[in-house]
Amino acid sequence: MSKQKTAYPVRTALVASALTLAVAGSFGAAPASARTINIMETGSSLLYPLFNIWVPAYTHSHPNVRINTQSTGSGTGISEAVSGIAQIGASDAYMSNTQIRQNPNILNIPLAISAQTVNYNIPGLNDLHLKLSGPVLAGIYDNQIQYWNAPAIQHLNPGVPLPHHRITPIHRTDGSGDTFIFTQYLSFSTPYWNSHVAYGTTVSWPAVPGSLGALGNPGMVQSVAQTPYSIAYIGVSFANEVKDAHLGTARLENRAGHFMLPTKATIMAAAARLGSKTPADERISLIFAPGAHSYPIINYEYAIVSDHQKDAEMGTAVRELLTWTINRHEGNAERYLRQVHFVALPARISALSRKQIAKIR
Amino acid sequence: MKLRPFRIALVLITSLIPLALIAILVFLGQYSWSAITFNGWHFLYGHIWNLGNLYADPIMQRGQLAPIGANYGILVFIVGTLLTSAIALLLAVPISIGVAVFLAEGLGSNLRTILSFVVELLAAVPSVVYGLWGYAVLTPLIAHSIGPDLRSTLGFLPFFAGPIGSGYGLLAASLVLALMVVPIIAATVRDALSQVPLETKEAAYALGATHFEVVRRAMLPTVRGNIIGACILGLGRALGETMAVLMVSGGALNYFPGNIYSPISTMASFIVSQLDSAMQDPTGMAVRSLAEIALILFIIAVITNIIARLLTGTSRNVSSV
Amino acid sequence: MSPPFKPSRMARRKWLSGAGWAFAAGSFLLVAAPLLSILYTVFRKGLSALSLNLFTHVTNGISGGLLNAITGTLVLVSGALLFAAPVGILAGIYLSEFGRSRYGQVVRFLDDVLTGVPSIVLGYFSYVTLVIGLGWQFSVLAGSITLAIMVVPYIARFTEIAFLQVPNSLREAGYALGLHERTVITRIALPLALPGIMTGVLLAIAIALGETAPLIYTAGWSNFLWNGRLIHEPIGYLTYVIWSFINQPFSSAHALAFAAAFIVILMVLVINVGLTILVKRTRPRRPGQR
Repeated sequence: MSKQKTAYPVRTALVASALTLAVAGSFGAAPASARTINIMETGSSLLYPLFNIWVPAYTHSHPNVRINTQSTGSGTGISEAVSGIAQIGASDAYMSNTQIRQNPNILNIPLAISAQTVNYNIPGLNDLHLKLSGPVLAGIYDNQIQYWNAPAIQHLNPGVPLPHHRITPIHRTDGSGDTFIFTQYLSFSTPYWNSHVAYGTTVSWPAVPGSLGALGNPGMVQSVAQTPYSIAYIGVSFANEVKDAHLGTARLENRAGHFMLPTKATIMAAAARLGSKTPADERISLIFAPGAHSYPIINYEYAIVSDHQKDAEMGTAVRELLTWTINRHEGNAERYLRQVHFVALPARISALSRKQIAKIR
Repeated sequence: MKLRPFRIALVLITSLIPLALIAILVFLGQYSWSAITFNGWHFLYGHIWNLGNLYADPIMQRGQLAPIGANYGILVFIVGTLLTSAIALLLAVPISIGVAVFLAEGLGSNLRTILSFVVELLAAVPSVVYGLWGYAVLTPLIAHSIGPDLRSTLGFLPFFAGPIGSGYGLLAASLVLALMVVPIIAATVRDALSQVPLETKEAAYALGATHFEVVRRAMLPTVRGNIIGACILGLGRALGETMAVLMVSGGALNYFPGNIYSPISTMASFIVSQLDSAMQDPTGMAVRSLAEIALILFIIAVITNIIARLLTGTSRNVSSV
Repeated sequence: MSPPFKPSRMARRKWLSGAGWAFAAGSFLLVAAPLLSILYTVFRKGLSALSLNLFTHVTNGISGGLLNAITGTLVLVSGALLFAAPVGILAGIYLSEFGRSRYGQVVRFLDDVLTGVPSIVLGYFSYVTLVIGLGWQFSVLAGSITLAIMVVPYIARFTEIAFLQVPNSLREAGYALGLHERTVITRIALPLALPGIMTGVLLAIAIALGETAPLIYTAGWSNFLWNGRLIHEPIGYLTYVIWSFINQPFSSAHALAFAAAFIVILMVLVINVGLTILVKRTRPRRPGQR
């Protein structure tokens, strides 16, 4: 009967594919070692590229550890570290007091220092490094400053032929650590912004006609490149993409009133200034650091980890991995960090991180 | 009374579908309940979405623990969802019927199989890839050619006039959605057209109709029920699509679109983009409000389905000889 | 009496018919052009990563191959079909044969509404209930069930439509011969409805292969090949590579993302071709069909 005729080839196809899968699976399955540890890392998309560079190097020297990484966002990283689905959550934002109260067993451990650039696209002016300040940026994103040649901007850049054209501010549509540190810069430097919008991985952006939301850092780069007279904030690990797209990079005003470009020196200057102020639980913002040479938008990249893992073996494995990442000759070495334009932890901070790592059981 | 095990088995297995939906509904309802009481009706007509200050201690407001300054309103997203789905369907339905007619009646059988793959491949493209292509190819196209062309031809209507912006916006999102919906409708209509009995076609030819008239007057009316059913499926896909829309819609927050080129946000894309941030709210109010958005989207889907059925009479009137 | 045949009216009808065909052909081009553009973009940007390596190595950090993702996608989609195809086809049969009742209408309505649930909502629902609630953690089972819920409405409705196309006269002939209800359905109607069912299943496969959001919260991600465990073990899938690697500042990652996109589309094409040939070879021909 016709049903049997159709069933037969379907059945063979199913069996054949099942066999193929089984064979393929057996090729790749690692030799079952009783000590194979599976570590799941999830969270911040800013730390993700760096973690992905670390993984092959680490597993090369520690073949019994299998690490899976995911880029899901800081909020998910914290949430999954808390619920135990992931052993390491990555976050660009430290946990709030309320979150710590709810989860007293969670540690926030900085692994590296990242930064952020403010980029713009003004035809003809992308090679100059326009000077911008926190209050000016707040005004742009708040619809108070609408044209590039507004007095506030011209005042900071005397002699520059700014065009009379509306500014298109671009923000991130997805919740992100980049938004968190950018809005912290605006909040710390501009009281008005602090009381009306404040900071977070998502904020209630004031309505600016024509403003855009972009997805992810690549989306930000793309949007700015495609939209003349726009401005956006982009993570420093995308410096190469920014350069390829010929976007302008702004000099940002720091707390001392100087306008700095994001270089390794300026980032380290800011880190050094606030390093001594970092408390033992390492929850501190590095934004708008004091110091004449400090770059104002830098932050710690945190590993969010529970201090009690499911068993002693996992505890040891997580401790070893984290210790490796902050080691100046291993994870925190130039050869990894420079690929994402991050900066190594200062000695005092890595000592504090080591103390926290020791708490993991 | 005769026990019909076959029929009983069918009913039981079929019930898994409404069961899944009810499970999701119950989950959403129960999960978002505290948000519903916190937000009240303001949720539906407010246009500001504010997570509040997540780093200060939360306080009791309106009977629930929530961050200071938390205020959720989703009118902007409701408008975005309805506009994108409406425009997408408006574009997709005629085009899909055209494609189906072309495939079913306009080609010989070999060419038909090959070209049908083209349409089916449209369904194969992952929504993330639609988003990527959207912002790499489509949005510049809108900014430089499609937008200006539309404005010069239809610019007398205020909806098509005004600044074109960067290409990210309602038009881009609707176009991408239309492309995703076309394969669903086209495949159904093409299949249905190829099943129309020969007698119907021969009768029309005998009356002196041209080939196209046969299609238009004798075949399409008989598959009207199928077309409507497919459109409803397409509407569902348009309402629920997240990634592709997210990447080309421009992410409007707290303002309404002024014309067809304006950035917008849809409810589904908003949930995806905000889920991670919402998870940082220690009170959980933000995630529950997102669940409330999902609940409202569900209700909108129900309402649009009811309207679609009412507007078209019955839901499935396929002729079978 | 004026002649019934007016040359001017004939000319107008011919013109309208020509315009109609032009519209039909034009629609096709309007739809084929973006597809070709997508394929071209994906191919060009993924070219640097396209090599045999993709099929022999697993993903390693930001580069490597895609073997784990490819096998993972196949496992997840097969799992989804394992749940969705029987439920969908049987539901479609119920709706077409017995679905005129009140209950049938309710089921049909809810089935349509199910397509409107955003994939992220399904993903979060499964995250809370299966991954955390039942303690499955990231798992194949959670991912497959979520995908199955997503695609079952399409299979059910396409099956229903296919069965409704089968002429009643054939069913009546079967009953007249004294055949059982289930025999009439499975032996007479089902083979004729198979092409329509196939369209639904192919559409479901295409949609399932292209989904990201629900899987991120249910299947997680794994850099390693699936070890056969249904729960407590994450798994890789191609759309994750597309979504996450495109956001990284490394060109090797980008190329891998586009290569993954290319493979997904290729997979659907291969499955489409395969199943279409399978069905064409086995379905009986009806009089009057081409």
